[in-house]
Amino acid sequence: MKTELLWPFTVATAALLFAAWTAASALNLVNPLFLPGPGLLFSSFLDLLLNGYKGYSLPAHIGISLMRVLLGFGSGAIVGTLIGLGMGAAPLFDALAAPFVEFLRPLPQLAYLVLLIVWFGIGETSKIVLLFLTALPVAAIAARDGVRNVPLQRIQAARALGASPAQIFRHVIFPSALPEIFIGARLAVGIVYATLIAAEIIAGSNGIGWLVFDAGRFLRSDYVFVGVLLIGLMGLGLDFALRTIERKVVHWAGK
Amino acid sequence: MGDEARPGRRAEKGRLPAARLLPGSSRTWLGAASVLLALAAWQGVVAAGLVPGDLVPPPTAVWRAFVEILRHGYRDTTLGEDIGATLGRALAGFGLGALLGVPLGLWMGMSRRASAAFGWIVQFMRPLPPLSFLVLLILWLGLGEASKIALLTMTAFPIITSASQAAVRGVPELQIAVARSLGATPRQVFGHVVLPASLPMIFTGLNIALAATFSTVVAAELLAANDGLGWMVLSASKFLRNDIIMVGIVLLGVLGMALSRFLLLLDRRLVHWRGRA
Repeated sequence: MKTELLWPFTVATAALLFAAWTAASALNLVNPLFLPGPGLLFSSFLDLLLNGYKGYSLPAHIGISLMRVLLGFGSGAIVGTLIGLGMGAAPLFDALAAPFVEFLRPLPQLAYLVLLIVWFGIGETSKIVLLFLTALPVAAIAARDGVRNVPLQRIQAARALGASPAQIFRHVIFPSALPEIFIGARLAVGIVYATLIAAEIIAGSNGIGWLVFDAGRFLRSDYVFVGVLLIGLMGLGLDFALRTIERKVVHWAGK
Repeated sequence: MGDEARPGRRAEKGRLPAARLLPGSSRTWLGAASVLLALAAWQGVVAAGLVPGDLVPPPTAVWRAFVEILRHGYRDTTLGEDIGATLGRALAGFGLGALLGVPLGLWMGMSRRASAAFGWIVQFMRPLPPLSFLVLLILWLGLGEASKIALLTMTAFPIITSASQAAVRGVPELQIAVARSLGATPRQVFGHVVLPASLPMIFTGLNIALAATFSTVVAAELLAANDGLGWMVLSASKFLRNDIIMVGIVLLGVLGMALSRFLLLLDRRLVHWRGRA
């Protein structure tokens, strides 16, 4: 297939959208309340950056959200991976634990947020526990499948060379399962992040998700737009960070 | 997932013996036993007064609450209406997302120009948490059904679009070349080769999108609704009716599993050639 120049098509749609947006706001075709123009958006961004929003600076809101993601995702991914490794290695444990993991996974996360708030209050604990429970089943299933898919020959080879079961797990099964564990981690961080934004909107008093919701209540749609763009960029950043770690840790994946 | 069929196949492929599953029947029994044990322990802990029963309602109390709302409904809505409202919203948004996403994804898969033109928009939307733009949608469309359906459409759309595009891209060049050299028109190539070959992956995308839509509908109902299971759970929390919250959570879990099973069944019927290409 001959290579044709494709970037003009990308630039064309982007330019078209941007021109329509600028024109609509410059000619006052739409109320800036519904669709703030690019100029207003940029000045609002500077305003947020310089003055913060309701008692917290913009970096503080971002930092609070990221810290919640890291705590909830980190604890959930570690515990979930341990459970999943156990499930992969011991069929009996797998049979006992599977109903719980498989019930928790498709359950809408926000459904149990309400219960967690009743139990742990509306502060940080309920949010971290929510994110923990969100990450756990995703990580567990990825780790379990990772262990199950370890090629038999590798284990037999290690055993034939005299490795103990502990050594086989440490040096053969775990490294072989690691690429799949990382795929699960990336999936989990995306779900955790989406859940966090929802949790901050429903029961927050700071953080970037709360900022968007609160600005919406006061009809500051310029802040809402800036916030949504920031949320998108942070999501891309989280995935990029995890992918970089993945490439460092499991540099042998796919080889 | 057909776990019964798995051990044999895995053994043939030469997988880890320790990871081989127990036979399907004993797996089911052990699973049921561990669930029953957990329920009994939960009931026991509450009965022994270790945790207050109104804060952590035991299984019997949850069952009583279920019977109560089954008979009398919850506030002004019957349980059937709430389940219907939640399912209706989820399916409407999912359906619209599929209606827009599958054709666009197929087009983007067939034409590199279309993919260059629209791909970046889909790629930007995909990692964006759906609830972040609910605020904007409420501002534009009001608090009614329209903003919720639009939110769910926007949740399902990017997932379905990128799955459909990837599906078309994954069709082996050889199959297309063979059909073309046998004299098939572009329309025939699309209808008889590309579409059947990409359906399995499109269905996988639909399944993921349906799960995402179902999570999002509950979140949207917590924020802005007057019926639906999400609304019921939130409203019950304001009256400290933890037993009704539990009923809602269990129902949502069961519904979520049922939806995904249903799609899997549809997938097996419609895409019976999956994995045999």
